[in-house]
Amino acid sequence: MKKLVALFGASALLLGACGTTGLEGNDTGDNGEEGVESVARDEMTVGLSLSTLNNPFFVSLQEGVETAAEAEGTDVRTVDAQDDTAKQLNDVNDLIQQGVDVLLINPVDSAAIEPAIESANNAGIPVITIDRSSEGGEVITLVASNNVEGGEMAAQRIIDLVGEGAITVQLEGVPGASATRERGEGFMNVAEDGLDVVDSQTANFNRSEGLTVMENMLQSNSDVEAVFAQNDEMALGAIEAIEAAGLAEDVIVIGFDGNDDALAAVEEGRLDATIAQQPDEMGRIAMETAYEYFEGGEIEEYIASPLELIINE
Amino acid sequence: MKIQMKDIVKSFGSNKVLLGVNIDIKSGEVHALMGENGAGKSTLMNILTGLHKYDSGTVIINGEERTFENPKRAEEEGISFIHQEMITWPDLTVLENLFMGREKKTSWGWIKTKEMREIARELFKELGVNIELDRGMRTLSVGQQQLVEIAKSLMSNAEVIIMDEPTAALTDREIKVLFTTIEKLAAKNVAIIYISHRMEEIFAISDRITVMRDGISVDTKPTNETDKDEVVRKMVGRDLEDYYPNIETENGNVLFEVKDLSDGKVYENINFHVHQGEILGFSGLMGAGRTEIMRGIFGIDKLTSGQLFLDDEKIDVKSPSDAIRQGIGFLTENRKEEGLILDDSLIGNISLPSIEEFSRSGWINTKEEKDFAELLIKRLTVKTVSGDVPVKTLSGGNQQKVVLAKWIGAGSRVLILDEPTRGVDVGAKREIYMLMKELAERGVGIIMVSSDLPEIIGISDRVIVIHEGHIAGEMDKADLSEEKIMTLATGGYK
Amino acid sequence: MNTEAGSIEKKKEKRSEMIRKLGPFFALIVLMVFVTIMNPNFIQMGNILNLLRQVSINGLIAFGMTFVIITGGIDLSVGSTLALSGALGAGMIAGGWSPVVATLAALVIGALLGAVNGTLIAKGNTAPFIATLATMTIYRGLTLVYTNGNPITGIGDSFFFQFIGKGYLFGIPFPVILMAIAFGILYVVLHKMTFGRKTFAIGGNENAAYIAGIKSDWIKIAVYSISGLMASLAGLILTSRLNSAQPTAGTTYELDAIAAVVLGGTSLSGGRGRLFGTLIGALIIGTLNNGLNLIGVSSFYQQVVKGIVIIIAVLLDRKND
Repeated sequence: MKKLVALFGASALLLGACGTTGLEGNDTGDNGEEGVESVARDEMTVGLSLSTLNNPFFVSLQEGVETAAEAEGTDVRTVDAQDDTAKQLNDVNDLIQQGVDVLLINPVDSAAIEPAIESANNAGIPVITIDRSSEGGEVITLVASNNVEGGEMAAQRIIDLVGEGAITVQLEGVPGASATRERGEGFMNVAEDGLDVVDSQTANFNRSEGLTVMENMLQSNSDVEAVFAQNDEMALGAIEAIEAAGLAEDVIVIGFDGNDDALAAVEEGRLDATIAQQPDEMGRIAMETAYEYFEGGEIEEYIASPLELIINE
Repeated sequence: MKIQMKDIVKSFGSNKVLLGVNIDIKSGEVHALMGENGAGKSTLMNILTGLHKYDSGTVIINGEERTFENPKRAEEEGISFIHQEMITWPDLTVLENLFMGREKKTSWGWIKTKEMREIARELFKELGVNIELDRGMRTLSVGQQQLVEIAKSLMSNAEVIIMDEPTAALTDREIKVLFTTIEKLAAKNVAIIYISHRMEEIFAISDRITVMRDGISVDTKPTNETDKDEVVRKMVGRDLEDYYPNIETENGNVLFEVKDLSDGKVYENINFHVHQGEILGFSGLMGAGRTEIMRGIFGIDKLTSGQLFLDDEKIDVKSPSDAIRQGIGFLTENRKEEGLILDDSLIGNISLPSIEEFSRSGWINTKEEKDFAELLIKRLTVKTVSGDVPVKTLSGGNQQKVVLAKWIGAGSRVLILDEPTRGVDVGAKREIYMLMKELAERGVGIIMVSSDLPEIIGISDRVIVIHEGHIAGEMDKADLSEEKIMTLATGGYK
Repeated sequence: MNTEAGSIEKKKEKRSEMIRKLGPFFALIVLMVFVTIMNPNFIQMGNILNLLRQVSINGLIAFGMTFVIITGGIDLSVGSTLALSGALGAGMIAGGWSPVVATLAALVIGALLGAVNGTLIAKGNTAPFIATLATMTIYRGLTLVYTNGNPITGIGDSFFFQFIGKGYLFGIPFPVILMAIAFGILYVVLHKMTFGRKTFAIGGNENAAYIAGIKSDWIKIAVYSISGLMASLAGLILTSRLNSAQPTAGTTYELDAIAAVVLGGTSLSGGRGRLFGTLIGALIIGTLNNGLNLIGVSSFYQQVVKGIVIIIAVLLDRKND
């Protein structure tokens, strides 16, 4: 206890002399406008902060970054936030402490990542966000699939297959997650006028929840014609419920992401379509963009990672 | 089976429990083991059955030196121990308890209930016991539970059965059943080690008597070559009059009075009073409701009716904290469960009920607290290395002194002591009696619940006997005798 | 009693007590030295302050958890309490309340959420594990209902509220200062005041404590309220640091807090423990998180390492018994 007080006291004196009282992030450093100091590719250290590695999508993303980096001899330090906004803030601070040259951040949440981006800005470390944006701070670019556009694509596909006013239900992702918001938003943009959305509930991006939520929905809406699941996992769960109810012929299901299981299901004709993202491509683009940045290239504010409607022809 | 235990020595920490005990058991005999509480009887038996390791000595079974790894092993080899406090599964049925761990099974693991039922019925018939096999163990009387335990040990084909105070909770009829059973067993060459305080029983049933005192075996004699007086003398080691402090205390005015106390379950219409400086004994059988009455007075359990008066003024006690504020203290019967915080220090335990007195607006004055507790530790001659060690490091007697210190420190004017000398060695026991007398001299009213008849008779000024939740009778010191108390306690004189 | 044997026993007792008290402290030093050797950046003042700031949230929660665990209970609802009080606080600020009032209100709400736990446990006689498991779900659900699943932003740029999570005082991050203040107050309450003594008594032997006149129900309710208060303070810091209240914030924080308490040598069965140990425990966990990141250990292995450290700590504690 005494030691601790002494420690705090000593550091207070030490740093108090510097007059560092105020807010994190208010310390506007001299970094920013002065142009980029170039770093050779094989001497570069990249900090990669991922939202989670508990999901094949982000593992592919990580592989995309690493494959691109390895080819050039760049060192990648990866940290996994385990879907915890606060852990991600700590992770990014740790990467800053390690003195990485550039940060590739895949935010857990767009709002909550802002302070982390600001810390990086203060340390003069350039940031590229991947898959999800940041609501604040200075970012070189965002590399992402356009989730809103993907949602629109899905709704349009339903209209194409079933027709205007199709009775549709939506399976939503984790409440509050940006993908949930954006895909839902895009979907509703088109569906509001084009479809009859009778129910929309969360299944937390989870296959088994997709199954049970779909089972419940079929109880109350037996005349459903189409299902939009905000990711493939939920879509695959919903298909199980629909097939068990003997409605496979009557209901079309559209997923999102384009993971391996979903692609196989499309091949078999069980899943009618998925809006495929290409996470490895996303990772590769992010890495390439970092190289370009250090080599003085002009960078767009937003780089779209390709999105593809996969259907069984 | 023939057992010889030679020069057995055992200590728990610094507390020497056995100082060299010799005993031999022959097949087909009923061997009584007698001695005061704390003489070391239970420890000796626990060593025999492998629960405790002994420090030195030899155990010879059928001519070979043998130590059991654990009680289960002993049971498998034919030595069963029926404990005072039985280890049963209260929520299972009688049948399940009988066959616990040795169920009859098919090779597929299916339990053959029918076969088990027949074995159990046969056994109960032989013992003359009439208990339904499907009843929950919890619903049985203590006596019935004891009989189930005995039946269980017979099922394992025991060659030696140790019975620790088997009749303490039995009715006369049940005792008769038990004795017939014991005779049958002895006839079948089973040896019985019979631990009891009850002289009549010992002389009615045993073949030989071994007396223990303060951790040594005093003597073993055939029952027909000795008598009660000799046995008592050996047990106590001095005359009874010396053992219990012979101090007359002045009884003052009525200090504390209980009127019409009922809890709607165990006891009903309890009325009594205690004078200043008086030691009021509460006697009765186990389960008669003595402890429950005390818990009701102290505000631990709910009452359905009853009033308490202190100095003729009605007091309101709804919780222990109310009772303590009124100056009532309660030494509970099981100090480990309810009396002490075993991991905490002596000081912490002693100051607990009076902690507010050492603190100003929540801040503890640790110096004052320590001085206070250490004064009591010294005054009560608690043997300890310091007041800061956990109380679990002390012997039973010293732990009990800590509990007493706690209540003395709390300034109790009425002190309820429930089995104050249970599990306390003989030396500390006498010190506790001396303390009780000293407190009484200072005007404290003491209510002592005890199952130890000599103790009740030796120390009380007046005795109330409880039978099945009612006051069965009251006696002054001059009228006290074991026979009278037992008669009242078992529902006689009605 | 043989006095010589007595004094040896006393020495032994003292030594094992020392090991128990200082064991976690030495473990922390060893860990810090190790990380420093692997990456000297670790020991720089900038990173140490960074580390302390990271520790502050878990530290605060763990301080409250220490009280709960000393009574022999557990509080699984702290993560949800953190999220709910953070969200309500943020919502009030976004709704135009004065940030000072909103902050105080959020703290009161946190304490009340804890008091609900305490009441369920003490008056309703529910097992702490079950009661707080239920409220964990309820509070999380209420957070989602209140936030509609979306993060609450638009907290504005109130200097006061920003300062809670992002401020610096004499170069020290303000959350660290809050943690130090909370530690100081709670240390005194737990180790110097009757309230703390009663807390230990309840955990050591609830029956005995009750019979000694301790109103165990009220102590328990107060203890769970402290836990709720600490969780809501942590929630406010987190909200301020993230500049938004996350509906999923604090998920599984209860486990990190329990781990810190256990690493600090507090017994899960109650009755024994020290707040200083919990501080060290939180620092050990923080150093593991920060240090392993700095060394560049894969996050998968980090989890394995954390688990192993906990097991070692608990085994050592057992051995000293």
